[in-house]
Amino acid sequence: MSSKKGSSAASQVVHLECKNLHSYLKSQTQIISKLYEEPSICLAAYRDLPEIAKQFVIRMLCVEQPVPQAVVQSWGSQVYAKENLAACEALTELRIWTEASISGGLTAWDLTPSFKRNLKIAWLGGGRSWSMFNSVEQNDAKSRDISFLDNYAMSRWNCLLHYMVDSNASKGSEMEGISVDAVRIILHANLMNRNEQDGSYMLTSQGFQFLLMDTQSQVWHFMLQYLNTCEQRGLSLVDCLSMLFQLSFSTLGRDYSSEGLSENMQTFLQHLREFGLVYQRTRKERRFFPTRLALNFTTKNAIVPENIIENGNINNNINKLQQSDDTNYEKGYIIVETNYRVYAYTDSKLQISLLALFTELLYRFPNVTVGVITRDSIRQALRGGITSRQIISYLEQHAHPKMIANASTSSFKTTSFLPPTVIDQIKLWENERNRFSFIDGVVYNQFLSEADFMTLRDYAQSIDVLLWQNERTRTMVVKKTGHEDVKKFWKRYSKG
Amino acid sequence: MVNVLKGVLVECDPAMKQFLLHLDEKLILGRKFILQELDEKHLFIASDIVETLQAKIDDLMDRISFPLHEKDN
Repeated sequence: MSSKKGSSAASQVVHLECKNLHSYLKSQTQIISKLYEEPSICLAAYRDLPEIAKQFVIRMLCVEQPVPQAVVQSWGSQVYAKENLAACEALTELRIWTEASISGGLTAWDLTPSFKRNLKIAWLGGGRSWSMFNSVEQNDAKSRDISFLDNYAMSRWNCLLHYMVDSNASKGSEMEGISVDAVRIILHANLMNRNEQDGSYMLTSQGFQFLLMDTQSQVWHFMLQYLNTCEQRGLSLVDCLSMLFQLSFSTLGRDYSSEGLSENMQTFLQHLREFGLVYQRTRKERRFFPTRLALNFTTKNAIVPENIIENGNINNNINKLQQSDDTNYEKGYIIVETNYRVYAYTDSKLQISLLALFTELLYRFPNVTVGVITRDSIRQALRGGITSRQIISYLEQHAHPKMIANASTSSFKTTSFLPPTVIDQIKLWENERNRFSFIDGVVYNQFLSEADFMTLRDYAQSIDVLLWQNERTRTMVVKKTGHEDVKKFWKRYSKG
Repeated sequence: MVNVLKGVLVECDPAMKQFLLHLDEKLILGRKFILQELDEKHLFIASDIVETLQAKIDDLMDRISFPLHEKDN
């Protein structure tokens, strides 16, 4: 039985919306021209373009007049007309170029002057130097190596994630807390919400999806949410974005000076430090190290639709390489048995807390935690807005290599490594909550004649608002949204 | 003349429909809430009852389920 039919009464599962850079820039229509005043943003926007669009930009970069559209079209082979069109569209959407008319009644493309100027600056130099690249004079004796930075970044980031899964328990513990600002962003992003009754924080469905994403996508999504709220904090969005992109073009393991940064940007830097995007020994220190989290910020292709991935193949491959680096120490650790027992071979508090969202933990040893999946534990997760699919995919993603090996050698072929009984039962537990579908609607009955009923029913059907009908009892139900239209039609019909 | 009623269309299996009829008849939710019976899988009910109803159903499901496995060895 289908249960989610867009009813206002039944609770809806909201999907986490993950924008990529392209759609993010596209949505910033009011300030996009200001964004293009920053060379680093221009460069990032350029890198994110489809390959063909990059070609167009390079060809036009040094042409000081609009280029007729016919000419642009002739640059690509007819065979790839579709790709050409997509490239043109991308450039228009991002307002990298605009339509202009030139003499002779031709329409032409003209690169946006600020974009043109600042991309040139990014590539060829000139303009004012990027503030953070005021290189540090003497080499720091206490420089940090890359593995230290990686560890630091991950521990900071995990701290944030840990807060999300375990906010209430961690208050008294020794764990390092996170700042009020970070909590505010988590709430703003709807990753957690506050329980009105006891004031505790509860992970939302979106929050769970967030936790299931790879680190890089998490950072990207989180920072977008941060940027959404940065104006409220008195920080300029343009400055913050510019700084983020500058960081993403920096070198891992090198230190940079924070000397020239304005006061606002110093605040921003401290936030980045908290999230683990930069490392700074002390708040007062005049230098900082960008970490891998910051560097990977723009090479972001993990959650874009297929067709865009094709265009950004190279980026994507690099991406994968970096990810395999990242996930090395995060290989599968979960074994699920047919008796609903779950063994988690991990000592990470974060992973255990995540597991505890939908399992009942029984025993805890230094390297393994044993839990059991029960109806209650699953229902509790479902009540929190987590879906059965998310739970199953989490278990699958983190399946222990042993379990994967077993599944592939067993004679019983399934599509998943998990025991089929467990998967089915989790789904059943979810379905049992959805035995009803509720749709707001309006009933029409007591028609005087069959003809009246048929006319109105056919009209409702034609505008696609009919939910249910029965000719014998002359009763029909239409969607609430369609009621006005049907009513109007009925008035017209009964008069005429 | 046509009669018009606003509410919520409920679609469910026949067993659950009988359960709803029972709740309605015995005034278990404090009042009648079924506006019209449509067919064996459809009912039309008052929209303000939906939340209470869902809680009641959850209750029922809790009572008819039993643990599938033992927690202790």
